[in-house]
Amino acid sequence: MPDYADATVPARRKRTTVLPRALLRAIHRDIGYIGVGLTLVYATSGLAVNHIADWDPNFQNVQAVHHLGPMSGDDEAISRAVRQTLAIAEEPRELYRASPEQLDILFEHRTLHVNPVRGEVLDEGQRPRFLLRLANWLHLNRGKKAWTYVADAYAAALLFLAISGMFMIKGSKGLVGRGAVLVLLGMAVPAIYVTFAGGP
Amino acid sequence: MPPSKTRPASAADELMTVDRPLRTTMTDRRTFLRGISAGTVVCALGGAGYVLADDEAARRAAAASPRPDGRPRLPPNQYLLSRIRPMGGTEGDPSPGKFRLSVHGEVEAPFEIDFAELLRMPQVEQTCDVHCVTKWTVLDSHWTGVRVADLAARARLKPSARYVIFEAAAGYTSNVQLRDALKPNVLVAHRYEGNPLARQHGTPVRALVPDLYFWKSAKWLTGIYFTSSDRPGYWETRGYSNHADPWREERYA
Repeated sequence: MPDYADATVPARRKRTTVLPRALLRAIHRDIGYIGVGLTLVYATSGLAVNHIADWDPNFQNVQAVHHLGPMSGDDEAISRAVRQTLAIAEEPRELYRASPEQLDILFEHRTLHVNPVRGEVLDEGQRPRFLLRLANWLHLNRGKKAWTYVADAYAAALLFLAISGMFMIKGSKGLVGRGAVLVLLGMAVPAIYVTFAGGP
Repeated sequence: MPPSKTRPASAADELMTVDRPLRTTMTDRRTFLRGISAGTVVCALGGAGYVLADDEAARRAAAASPRPDGRPRLPPNQYLLSRIRPMGGTEGDPSPGKFRLSVHGEVEAPFEIDFAELLRMPQVEQTCDVHCVTKWTVLDSHWTGVRVADLAARARLKPSARYVIFEAAAGYTSNVQLRDALKPNVLVAHRYEGNPLARQHGTPVRALVPDLYFWKSAKWLTGIYFTSSDRPGYWETRGYSNHADPWREERYA
């Protein structure tokens, strides 16, 4: 037997192999991380706007009627009296006399419609839902321009996540096992809906 | 402590079952999916039952009473609400002091009026039904405003005018055929249910086109543009119907 112990054989370079599935999982995970913020924006806004017929996803709308008794004096005097009675510290941005029976006192997010003759005040306004309004603004792409590219990139990332997700973990039956059933089930949802709803 | 009955204990199971039974610490996937499916079915059936029970009596009564033109008051696949809903939109300036309405386009005498002048024009109070493309309908809503036909008469339409574009805040527009816009129940409205329009409903002034889906009734109205050629508006260029007749269910293009 030859002794190779001292032979000057060049050392074989150690091969590092990256398994395709492991690579896929790593990319899927990282893109998933990047997409968390946008997913929160689009998902919460999607839920909110889907039910727009049931609520206002951008504002909390408030309305109340106050009976303060007949008022006299000029518009400024009436405005001061009403604000004092209703404990409103905010300065109005506008007083508008629409008619003898309607004086509008406008604030940033609130309007008082005063009927000085009847002494009634219709108090209506909106409180913005700050984060949700922002999310809806982004989701509905009210900003346009640059956001279109962000939304396109996010849509492409979602496509990648959906497709790569099917291959991340090898099932015992490969693509024909439970995974295939669930994928087909997911695809069947829009197909069945379109079938019964009649489509566009 | 015995392991799960459904599968042999693994090393991980053993670790997790040291102090407590497996079933209380870890729900297996099958159980989880079963629970989610059952919950979804219960919610769906419950929601459907609630909707059907709530609306059925009122829906039948409304559907039974026809409009003067013979069509049912409740268009197909609509449900009833008692008051209109805001439905979003980019809000405009609520100031009546700064309000200006421009009436222009294919007219002999274009003009611009402020809120006070709008109030000096002949006022119409009307009760009508309105229908939203999201399927709600409000019967017997009360509105006050000025007829678009009166504004058109003051501007003296040219024979070439065939369409009306309602112009609103933030570039929102909706297009209506001239014959629809000049109907006597089409208003530039500034009061709803006896009160000035609330902010979410487009104060100080909005369009009111009761016989078309409600997105045609632009909120925060700033202009009425008469044109010879059609110009699909905000929603019409996003897949919604150009005409929007609720009785024909013209929801989408």
